[in-house]
Amino acid sequence: MRTTNIMLGGLLLLLGAPAQGANWLMLQGTEPADAADRAYVWGFIQVDYQKDYSDPNSAGAYVPPKLLGPNLTTQEGFNVSRARLGVRGAGFPLDNKVNYFLLTEFGNNGITAADGPRITDASITLNHLPGARLRAGLFKTPGPEEALQAIHVFDYVNFSTVTNQLMLERVPNARYTSNVPEVTLPVSSDSGLNQFDRSVAAFRDVGLQVFDTFNLGDWEHTYAIMVGNGNGLNFSDNDSQKDVYAYLSTAKVYGSSGPMRNDLKLFVWQHRGRRLLDNTDDAVYNPRYFDREREGLGFKYRRDAFRLSAEYMRGKGMIFVGPDKPTFDQNGAQPAADGADGEASGWYVEGGWRMPGSNWELDLRHDVYHRLEDDPGPPAGPNAGRSFESVWTTWTAGAQYYFNRKTRFTFNYAFRSVESPDWPDDVGPNDNMNGIDDVAALQLTHIF
Amino acid sequence: MHRLLLLAVLFLCLPDAWAAPPADKPFAEEKVVLQISDEASGKQTLVLNVASNLLKHYGPDRVAVEIVAFGPGLRLLLAENANAGRLRALADAGVGFSACQNTVAAFTQQLGHPPALNPLAQPVPAGVVRILELKNSGYTLIKP
Repeated sequence: MRTTNIMLGGLLLLLGAPAQGANWLMLQGTEPADAADRAYVWGFIQVDYQKDYSDPNSAGAYVPPKLLGPNLTTQEGFNVSRARLGVRGAGFPLDNKVNYFLLTEFGNNGITAADGPRITDASITLNHLPGARLRAGLFKTPGPEEALQAIHVFDYVNFSTVTNQLMLERVPNARYTSNVPEVTLPVSSDSGLNQFDRSVAAFRDVGLQVFDTFNLGDWEHTYAIMVGNGNGLNFSDNDSQKDVYAYLSTAKVYGSSGPMRNDLKLFVWQHRGRRLLDNTDDAVYNPRYFDREREGLGFKYRRDAFRLSAEYMRGKGMIFVGPDKPTFDQNGAQPAADGADGEASGWYVEGGWRMPGSNWELDLRHDVYHRLEDDPGPPAGPNAGRSFESVWTTWTAGAQYYFNRKTRFTFNYAFRSVESPDWPDDVGPNDNMNGIDDVAALQLTHIF
Repeated sequence: MHRLLLLAVLFLCLPDAWAAPPADKPFAEEKVVLQISDEASGKQTLVLNVASNLLKHYGPDRVAVEIVAFGPGLRLLLAENANAGRLRALADAGVGFSACQNTVAAFTQQLGHPPALNPLAQPVPAGVVRILELKNSGYTLIKP
């Protein structure tokens, strides 16, 4: 809360003349004044082919980081990973200070795996109060750049590990779910490894956000405060707790507009919430609350052909450590660490270069994730005191070919290395982690 | 002095008075009226692009351009329109903007109050009438 107060205090110093800026909060939450359609239909399709080169553990079995999500049944295949259709616009002429945003997902991913196609965004923005726009409904929470940015202009096929594991929340099942053992390939049908009965949160929540952007010369300052259910894409709340999200950014704008705007943006954000979790294997519904805290900062620089960005994030509580619920480690046969009270942190740095005179862009990303940082390990037994902390290191080399502004081909090759440094090779968590290997991904994107 | 003022007012009320080439465009070789009456936001951009292209091709002194907005197209001339900066730049190059008062009356009825217009907008009794007047005085009508 103290950080939130500091952010709000800083905001008061930044207040200036209201302006229509071009950043994710404004691009997704507002429309150009008197220049928006009543109903603009749009969407995009992403089709990918991925191959995971990971090896099985000593028993010849596989765990989710070695299988392709969301179905976790194979290491290789095509997938319609996203197929989104939406409509957005502004009221006209009755009240052009009201705009809306509706988006649906029909692709196969963590959003649809549990319940099928569903609405990912449904929001209304009221632009009547200068300096305090109000957005209500289901939409992306103000947070890390990699999560907040529009996915159809994301420069990689997969998220960095820290964003995927720390920020892409797997909403816990209502009741305790038994561990599912690793699987051997081929799997005859759904392996059951993905035991979530609800979709991932997809960086979204249902709630109310106050936000706006202010211009001071070439600098653009943006703030957002949001209160939400903390229940992901689900329309209603599952408890009496509310999440609070705070975001502050400042950007030096060099020119242009939209998602590819030339600018240098600095940002900081913080999320605070609680989750109701039944993590005791006792056939009794006895859930309790766990804190879920996330915070981070970063920058993004884009100027013509060059792009460079970096983010640092850390979290406490509800650390995702497995496939079916937040308390399940990768190997059900091993002593399992509990992520419900765990801590984690991570960062990435990435850059891109559009080759002059061609349609090619080269990308490179390095990310590191420390999962279950400072974990004390089992209190007793032969492995007493051995931390379940694991370190995930990934280099992703990428290339993109733009057929046109709205159609592109993305190729990624991710060099992955994972280990639990407190454990010997092939022992405990490392029995599974040592085999985690590279992933090749090809993706075709078309925006319409 | 009062007579001069009266004459000036009478002159402005003559049907063809507004249709004459703008006084600051004495060397205009082409005269173009651009119509915007659609709701689609893309039309706003298109109309402004056409005006810019005309100025670029002929030069600001060699072409007279007037944009007439009526119906849903009047949104282009509302005070808070996101393209206000472009309107200012075009106005500085001599482009005129006409706002249909029939449409303003319709907006007023729906809103419960008159819409705030861009100060650059010149009110005209009816957009279509304004277009006919300009056509009769040698303007070419283009509806992008």
